[in-house]
Amino acid sequence: MVTADLLANAVVAGLLLGGFYAAVAIGLAIIFGQLDIVNIAHPAFIIAGAYTAYILNSRFGIDPVLIGVLAAPLFFLAGAGIYRVYYGAFERTGQESLSGLAFFFGLMFIIEVVLILVYGVDYRLVQAGYIGESWRIGFVDLPFRMLVPFVVAVALTAGIYLYLARTFTGRAIQAVAQDRLALQLMGVNPIRVKQWAFGLGIATAAIAGALLIIIGPVEPSVGRQYIGRAFAIVVLGGMGSISGMFIAALILGIVESLVNTFMGPSWAPAVAFGVLLLTLALRPSGLFGR
Amino acid sequence: MANSLSIEGVRAGYGAVQVLEGISLAVRDGETVALLGTNGAGKSTLMKAVMGIVTPSAGRIAAVIDDVEHDLVGKTPEEVVDLGIALVPEGRRLFPKLTVQENLLMGASRRAARGRIDENLAFCFETFPVLAERRGQLAGSMSGGEQQMLALARAIMTAPKILLIDEPSVGLAPIFVARTVEKIAELKRRFGLTVLMAEQNFTQAIKIADRGYVIVHGHIEFEGESRESMQNNDMIRRLYLGM
Ligand SMILES: Nc1ncnc2c1ncn2[C@@H]1O[C@H](COP(=O)(O)OP(=O)(O)OP(=O)(O)O)[C@@H](O)[C@H]1O
Ligand SMILES: [Mg+2]
Repeated sequence: MVTADLLANAVVAGLLLGGFYAAVAIGLAIIFGQLDIVNIAHPAFIIAGAYTAYILNSRFGIDPVLIGVLAAPLFFLAGAGIYRVYYGAFERTGQESLSGLAFFFGLMFIIEVVLILVYGVDYRLVQAGYIGESWRIGFVDLPFRMLVPFVVAVALTAGIYLYLARTFTGRAIQAVAQDRLALQLMGVNPIRVKQWAFGLGIATAAIAGALLIIIGPVEPSVGRQYIGRAFAIVVLGGMGSISGMFIAALILGIVESLVNTFMGPSWAPAVAFGVLLLTLALRPSGLFGR
Repeated sequence: MANSLSIEGVRAGYGAVQVLEGISLAVRDGETVALLGTNGAGKSTLMKAVMGIVTPSAGRIAAVIDDVEHDLVGKTPEEVVDLGIALVPEGRRLFPKLTVQENLLMGASRRAARGRIDENLAFCFETFPVLAERRGQLAGSMSGGEQQMLALARAIMTAPKILLIDEPSVGLAPIFVARTVEKIAELKRRFGLTVLMAEQNFTQAIKIADRGYVIVHGHIEFEGESRESMQNNDMIRRLYLGM
């Protein structure tokens, strides 16, 4: 039965979920959408972010969102270092397509295996005062464990959007995939720009990971569920458009939530690909390709 | 302060293909020098060699910027640009998915250009009113002529002392060619630039060039010390003026 309150709750829950998906996909919107690097390890970095939040939260009781923000600079450095290796080993010699993919696949495996060896396959979670709370507006439920990630994700998306649009480095990040030589003719070193952008993309994984573990318990292999979704969102959003990515994330969240409510949870994983295939059939450049 | 470019005995090419077979030319302070040559003569290759995009196998390329001499061979394009040398490249190479204004701001990336961003942007909009009207439009959706204007303006945004322009007339209607050439002269006057311009359109190029060179199969075939000597040269009359 489709009732008004069931529908309203499903849409609102989907909106909140979609906001979180934006935080998951935004790093990939930079790394895959702008730089054309197929970083399938991105969700694994998000899991690493979630475990960082778990470790510091369980040991010191620090708020998980704060941990995400504090860990971001470290993730940035790790990302910049990884890009250096990737560039030196694959991109410089033009082998990025297949060997590069294997590189990120390997990285994903390493992160997962290390987490399993150290922490096992048990689900881990964080404590924060707001996690069990919720608001109720009319008949619509707003659980804080979804609302907080939504708000943080919106802030993150707005911040990255403004950074890319308003700063010299941000515009250079947009330019580097469009015409590398032209960027050099502007006096800018494209490798440095890509390194910075890759670092930035990985830094967002620290925050997305903290949000993930606020929403629910996490074990090392849950990242895999997000690979398809994150890539689908970036493609739907028009490859590299941050606003497009954000709207695509919201749409995916809402559709998934509706399917979950009215058809059952077993359908939900198929939603990302269903929406992706349908959109690409109708609009090959994604919803917001420019 | 003086800005000049000197190229001596440069050989360069692509892999096994030798294109430039020992080119020597000079652009003195404040000059506009035309580099004439038919398709495949090596004009673009020479410009790429100056910019560090192709590496010469022999010869010397040096630039004097504000009275200081720099050896350009072995520098990356971004290092050459950072000295104050800009190239408007063949094919324009705009950032198609950035707007007109964003393209212009990209030009001002280097530190020395950032301080003059407002002044230079205002000047570009004043000189090319169409860019001001279209500032929010994606560069890729501009017409060929508008794109050429944008490419020129973007190079100006890098605040260069020496400007290399690779065939500004290509793909433009005659009226647009004349207008573009006038704009180049205007930019040069306003910023006191030293200019090297590759062209196939002799009649337009000679309007603003002080003198020029003719390049044939990677050699300098003729060096004209003045506008008159260019116009009276037999080879130029034959190749470019159909006489
Ligand atoms: N990237 C490249 N790889 C191999 N050969 C090249 C490359 N670019 C140019 N060439 C060759 O070098 C020669 C000179 O080319 P270049 O572009 O310098 O000529 P040009 O004088 O600029 O001609 P046009 O007026 O047609 O632009 C040509 O024979 C061309 O085929
Ligand atoms: Mg050429």
